[in-house]
Amino acid sequence: MSVVFAKRSAKDLIVGKIPFLIALAVLTLLPLLNVGGFWLDVLTKVNLFLLVTLAIDLYSGTTYYLNLGVSFTFGFAGYSLALLNVYYGIPTEYSMLLAIPISIFFSLAILLPSLKIRGVYFAILSLLVPIIFVGIVTAQPFSLYLGGEGGLRFKQLFLDFARSLPPGVRLTFLQYSYYYISLAAAVVGYVIAYKIGFSDFGFMLRAVGQDEELAEGTGINTLKVKVIGFLISSAYASVAGALYASMRPPVTVDLVVPANTLIPPLTSVIVGGLGTLIGPAIANYLLLLTYELLWGLIGRWRVIAYMLLLIIIITIKPQGIVFKAYVEARKFLRGVFSE
Amino acid sequence: MYVDIYKYILLFSIFHSSTYLTFSLGFSMLFGVAKIPNLAYGSLYILSAYVMYALTTYIGLEPLVAALVAILVAGLASLLIGEVVVKPGLKMPVSVFITTLSVAYIFEEFFRIEMGLRPITLPVYPGVTYVLGVPVSNHWFLILSASLLMFLSLTAFLKYAVLGRSIRAVAESWDESRRLGIDPLKVLRVAFFVAGVYAGATGVLLTPLKALTPTAGWGPLFTAFAIVALGGVGSVTGTLIASFIYGFFEQSMTYVLGSGVASISPLILIVLVLVFRPQGLMGRVE
Repeated sequence: MSVVFAKRSAKDLIVGKIPFLIALAVLTLLPLLNVGGFWLDVLTKVNLFLLVTLAIDLYSGTTYYLNLGVSFTFGFAGYSLALLNVYYGIPTEYSMLLAIPISIFFSLAILLPSLKIRGVYFAILSLLVPIIFVGIVTAQPFSLYLGGEGGLRFKQLFLDFARSLPPGVRLTFLQYSYYYISLAAAVVGYVIAYKIGFSDFGFMLRAVGQDEELAEGTGINTLKVKVIGFLISSAYASVAGALYASMRPPVTVDLVVPANTLIPPLTSVIVGGLGTLIGPAIANYLLLLTYELLWGLIGRWRVIAYMLLLIIIITIKPQGIVFKAYVEARKFLRGVFSE
Repeated sequence: MYVDIYKYILLFSIFHSSTYLTFSLGFSMLFGVAKIPNLAYGSLYILSAYVMYALTTYIGLEPLVAALVAILVAGLASLLIGEVVVKPGLKMPVSVFITTLSVAYIFEEFFRIEMGLRPITLPVYPGVTYVLGVPVSNHWFLILSASLLMFLSLTAFLKYAVLGRSIRAVAESWDESRRLGIDPLKVLRVAFFVAGVYAGATGVLLTPLKALTPTAGWGPLFTAFAIVALGGVGSVTGTLIASFIYGFFEQSMTYVLGSGVASISPLILIVLVLVFRPQGLMGRVE
């Protein structure tokens, strides 16, 4: 799985940057084409899920420590936001910002002790964390304070401001502002992830993934690398969770249930190609939009169709398909440019 | 009539633990051989229950015959999952996580569409027996004896049968066993079939007492996960001990804290155990 990075030529940069800029332009201009409220909501969600995908790819994709507790971090940010809002009366705009460090702190505190555990056991342990959280939220004494199945209700982001607008544009304003916030978060998140991935630290993360003893032997403090990598990954998941929750109250256990907030990004990472960043990012958009499209095509059978599609893709190419396709496409583009 | 609560907890923790044992045994053995958890394991539990339900309600088969057919179907389904979904991804454990999970969702969605969310039940073995003054459905004794039989036969199979020994050898090391002339993929096939039979048997046995919905596969799967984490992957004795610890802890916590928190309290226990003893109670350090 090792990827060789050569020094990049100017042509490489043009070929490498152009798809990114095109994607950015398309995503920026798309809402102006009047795509409709439904697709704007979907795209907002997909933008935010890109952050979760990157969170998994940055940490689990490079170190092979499969952290399945990402959905806990994601959902915990949402719950922190709601609790600050409901019990302390802090407006959503601020409690959203406060929820991010709180969620990072708790994820670290809960999952850090398990970092010394390797392989499958780490994956199991990290998967148990969101499941325990769901159990606690829905169980008798706690559910009274945490909202239980119905969730915690609060004012969504910018609602107060939107109410000062004329009634006709309220919903449109909310949808468009959410979309551009999510897009900005996705772009900034992707650029930072890219910088990290190609920095010395990114290589240290890969070294831990290749062979931990050897990495330790070459003088890398593997525990430190793992902790910092985990911190960055949790920060991504927390930002995504806080933004997502602030736009879609009420906060319910759906935010934490692995099926909702872990499986789609994890799938993108695998189909995209572990640790390649661009692959999972493309896969994130392709897969999640396909899933929404299937709803219109085959209705209730979409889950089965989608899962079958995934099984076929992953069984044929367990190493991920999107990154390889991307590399091939770039080779082709480079050929076109050099003509 | 006054029933001593401690007797009640003790008795029912034994009964519940025996169901956890049967279900976890197959999971643990398969985990040991394949080195990857099969997340579609819980769907075999619901599959066998639904198959038996269909056979008894729509075709009118005898419960015993229907149960055996259902268990066989679960075993074959497990074999198929192993061949089609798990085998191509063996070199990439993360991808097996996703594909087996996808299989679980396919089963869940299929039954949700075909059978709806209405819980189903299966015929109960009739009668009630008083043990230490506690009324116990005879069905629990059926479960207890079946799981005892399944535990002993698996132990004997792994210890004395050639195939069983090969399973242990492959669980130990794929490369070494290949050198000894064992075909690991053939052994994997056997492990998948046996695991499917164990999951299917649990589904058929437990559904009469516990109504079943399409989402019912997840609970047992996580329980099995926790028990295997506690007992050590592939360890039969470890699974036995862990099942009883789990069951006893859960039943006593149900009395102390109420059923809501009790269902997750063993999971918290297991997280704590794993943090301090990552290889499980009976597992070995690799």
